[in-house]
Amino acid sequence: MGTVHARSLDPLPMQGPELGVQADDMDLGEPEHEPQQEVLENKDVVVQHVHIDGLGRTKEDILTYEIADVFQAKNLIDVMKKSHDARQRLLRLGIFRQVEVVIDTSEGEDALPNGLDVTFEVKELRRLTGSYNTMVGNNEGSMVLGLKLPNIFGRAEKLTFQFSYGTKETSYGLSFFKPQAGHFERNFSVNIYKVTGQFPWSSLRETDRGISTEFSFPIWKTNHTVKWEGVWRELSCLARTASFAVREESGHSLKSSLSHAMVIDTRNSAILPKKGALLKVNQELAGYTGGDASFLKEDFEIQVNRRLFWDSVLSASLWGGMLLPIGDKPTSIADRFYLGGPTSVRGFSMYSIGPQSEGDYLGGEAYWAGGIHLYTPLPFRPGRGGFGDLFRTHFFLNAGNLCNLNYGEGPRAHLSRLAECIRWSYGAGIVLRLGNIARLELNYCIPMGVQSGDRICDGVQFGAGIRFL
Amino acid sequence: MSLAAEAFVSQIAAAEPWPQNATLYQPLREDQILLSDCASSLAVQAYLRMCGLPVRVCCRANAEYMSPSGKVPFIHVGNQVVSELGPIVQFTKAKGHSLSDGLDDVQRAEMKAYMELVNNMLLTAELYIQWCDDTTASEITRQRYSSPYSWPLNHILAYQKQWEVRRKMNAIGWAGKGLEQVYEDVSQCCQALSQRLGTQPFFFNKQPTELDALVFGHLFTILTTRLTTDELSERIKSCSNLLSFCRRIEQTYFEEDKDSQSAGSQYSRGPSLF
Repeated sequence: MGTVHARSLDPLPMQGPELGVQADDMDLGEPEHEPQQEVLENKDVVVQHVHIDGLGRTKEDILTYEIADVFQAKNLIDVMKKSHDARQRLLRLGIFRQVEVVIDTSEGEDALPNGLDVTFEVKELRRLTGSYNTMVGNNEGSMVLGLKLPNIFGRAEKLTFQFSYGTKETSYGLSFFKPQAGHFERNFSVNIYKVTGQFPWSSLRETDRGISTEFSFPIWKTNHTVKWEGVWRELSCLARTASFAVREESGHSLKSSLSHAMVIDTRNSAILPKKGALLKVNQELAGYTGGDASFLKEDFEIQVNRRLFWDSVLSASLWGGMLLPIGDKPTSIADRFYLGGPTSVRGFSMYSIGPQSEGDYLGGEAYWAGGIHLYTPLPFRPGRGGFGDLFRTHFFLNAGNLCNLNYGEGPRAHLSRLAECIRWSYGAGIVLRLGNIARLELNYCIPMGVQSGDRICDGVQFGAGIRFL
Repeated sequence: MSLAAEAFVSQIAAAEPWPQNATLYQPLREDQILLSDCASSLAVQAYLRMCGLPVRVCCRANAEYMSPSGKVPFIHVGNQVVSELGPIVQFTKAKGHSLSDGLDDVQRAEMKAYMELVNNMLLTAELYIQWCDDTTASEITRQRYSSPYSWPLNHILAYQKQWEVRRKMNAIGWAGKGLEQVYEDVSQCCQALSQRLGTQPFFFNKQPTELDALVFGHLFTILTTRLTTDELSERIKSCSNLLSFCRRIEQTYFEEDKDSQSAGSQYSRGPSLF
């Protein structure tokens, strides 16, 4: 029996998970092994040894969990499948640049006639990798410097540092990530950061300095994240002309919050999915662990996708959330919800729906938004099977509402307030997928149900983002 | 603010009369406000009262950050926000209220010089004692300044502010001064003011000006605020005409408060001299 390179099983190039590019979007057919199956399927084999070649600083103990399954294989096809899986698991750790699998017959004194040796030839990532980008945004340029120390202690820990120096703002973040050995999904991370954001729709500048620690773990089909965050927030007016309502919110506050997020995601892709559903529920409780912001915040996101005729996809989503202040302090402008813009209710300007003061949007304590999209391939399908597949045309109907709640009124009154004066819009446009992390949209929108104070974007609207209604 | 913006603001301001709902913002009176901020706030209140312009005093823990210049007090008039005495004087002038119109050019220059003296000496001395004298800073200033915030933000903000003020003191050459020297400067400043005042009711004869408001704000606050030592107020008490000046202004412009304060009005100020 000769040498089989498991690499050839692989229909597509693999990359580490931290690039954010996953191959899950492609319709990944099972590796084609039908012809061999007839010959080899029933032939029993025993995996005698598994070697990993090319290890430097990586500790072997964390790898044994990842490759243990290979020993269970009973026939050659099984060995190849399991080695392929093990290779995926090794790559997922984000510590190897390259993993190749070599399956060979066993040699040596104790070699069985049907014994196999599996060798993983790995190439570790460098100790320190760096990146350098420049970004140009609205009236601002910035330089982003990133440093990454993958596998810093040899057990798939990762230390990343990002520093962004801009003409207006400087931000940085330091994060340490550690997975549990053998359960990569169970992981722990600590972040320290300073982020400055400018929100022109509210004439607000926010500087956050914070520490957060989070645990992520899967339970059955769900993924959970439990997080504690302590943030020192500094709010200030973006301009002298800011409304007094925003000026009143200026100053320092400390938020210490515990939050829990649950995600069930069966979609085949995060951007432009073709099938599957997403449910995301997020809850945050601030104030019990110190700080001077006290509130309970709940929000959810549902998305269902169904494939129809001619490669078209019908997608429906619903978002909603509520912010309840605890105690008699009103909620802060930094905690409230915002709605509107090319990523949520299209046809309205960015976050320009709901309560406002002198043209500055103050956000709301409750919101909902829903959308129905029909995605179809481009007309006449230019560039089919290649570049053209990154594009979709879509027809959409969006609706939503955002308001403040007077908590004396009771739940029925709240629901009726959210149901009156609904903003909605419809239109059509083109969507471009950027990798598997972001998308661009160019839409023609017709906003309806516009209330006084809302800022609309009637006609062509361009949007870019990572989270879309 | 740029010159163009300033001109624009004053033009708009001139068009509208003084509204009844004008509000002055300052830090929390009981727990938070510091000597220097209290003095500046009282000076502005005295000035507005001298002009006969009604203003409601509103205390906010974040007043310093609400202010467009980062300094208290500031007033919110119509949809204008103006901070500190100098710009406020300009602002009221644009609306047609001025105390220094009756002065000739020489007197006006003299008034400005004395106002600079007060700002450079009294205000700086107040800041120095608050933040650079270790006893005062640790026993009074940092505690009061950070009182609205929770741990650990209170310490961060207080030390940040202290560092900022000390850096400013370095820049103007006060960092090397000792406490005694600062008291001596305050004495000299008071003597200069006392000499200028002489036996007149106000610095420029019978009519009050913004200089009177500024001097009153600082002296009255120093006299009525308890610090770790009485040294600062003792220096002022040695000039008897300044003392009677403070009493006179208090009686003339703040007296009606006595009744309205008991009636629960929002107008108020620190403790009385009497």
